[in-house]
Amino acid sequence: MKHRSSARRLTLMTMLLAMSILLHMVEPALPIPVPGVKLGLANIVGLITLFLFGVKEMITVNVMRVVMASLLRGILFGTGFWLSLSGVLLSTLVTILLYKQNKLSKIGLSVASGAFHGIGQIGALILINNTVMMIYWLPMLWFSSVPTGYVTGTLSVQVLKRLKVTERNRV
Amino acid sequence: MNKYDKALMIFIVVTSVFMYGTLEWFVRSTTSDQVVAVVYYEDREVLRIDMKEDRNYVVDGALGDVFIEVAGGRIRVEKETSPYHLCSIQGWVQYANIPIVCLPNKIVIIIQNGTLNPDDPDVIS
Repeated sequence: MKHRSSARRLTLMTMLLAMSILLHMVEPALPIPVPGVKLGLANIVGLITLFLFGVKEMITVNVMRVVMASLLRGILFGTGFWLSLSGVLLSTLVTILLYKQNKLSKIGLSVASGAFHGIGQIGALILINNTVMMIYWLPMLWFSSVPTGYVTGTLSVQVLKRLKVTERNRV
Repeated sequence: MNKYDKALMIFIVVTSVFMYGTLEWFVRSTTSDQVVAVVYYEDREVLRIDMKEDRNYVVDGALGDVFIEVAGGRIRVEKETSPYHLCSIQGWVQYANIPIVCLPNKIVIIIQNGTLNPDDPDVIS
């Protein structure tokens, strides 16, 4: 699946961004019994972008997703926005670093991304609320990244398999 | 899933359990469920009284000495210098949501970590 045309590339990226915004906005409606824990479905699109396009495009899609979803929800520059942004920036950075190491599979990358998303959010919470005790939430978020990362990682693998994309055959 | 994925997952599970244990220990060691009565003079804490120990205390009020007595998990102002002696008339207090206020002496006594008065209309149980 080679797409050399920049228009096609732009269209694909826009579609991925739209999908990630949709997943980002729909996700809070999913009933998960543990407060603060989310599946991180939008992370699937982030990983797909990384393997379809590359590092820069993943950063663009992830950051734009947070900005656009916050804008649509009307919480731009609010607490929720900063929590999402810090989580996404840290998780994207760590995912890229681990991706460059080329040791973890997509599932491993997804787990690491989820884990560091939690750390980024807790860090922002500590700064915003000015209390270190928010760190009490970290073990649960850190732990939950294993099952949620496994689920999102597996979904990414399945989607990429159906798109028939290999790492050498990027867009 | 390769061996590095598995190692990462095991690392996360182990560290999360370790982090939880450390934080739980930290919180338990830094917080206390000991019931204390805190005595304030003009919003400044001047005395912290262990409610388990039956003892008498004296603090300086604006009009003179305020004598405080603790007995059987309850606290009262035994005697003080004031025009109406309202706080000594109030008598024994054992609930955290009932403060003793000696306004002329600028003394306030509040029980911390204690039980709440179940008859108080503001208490949600």
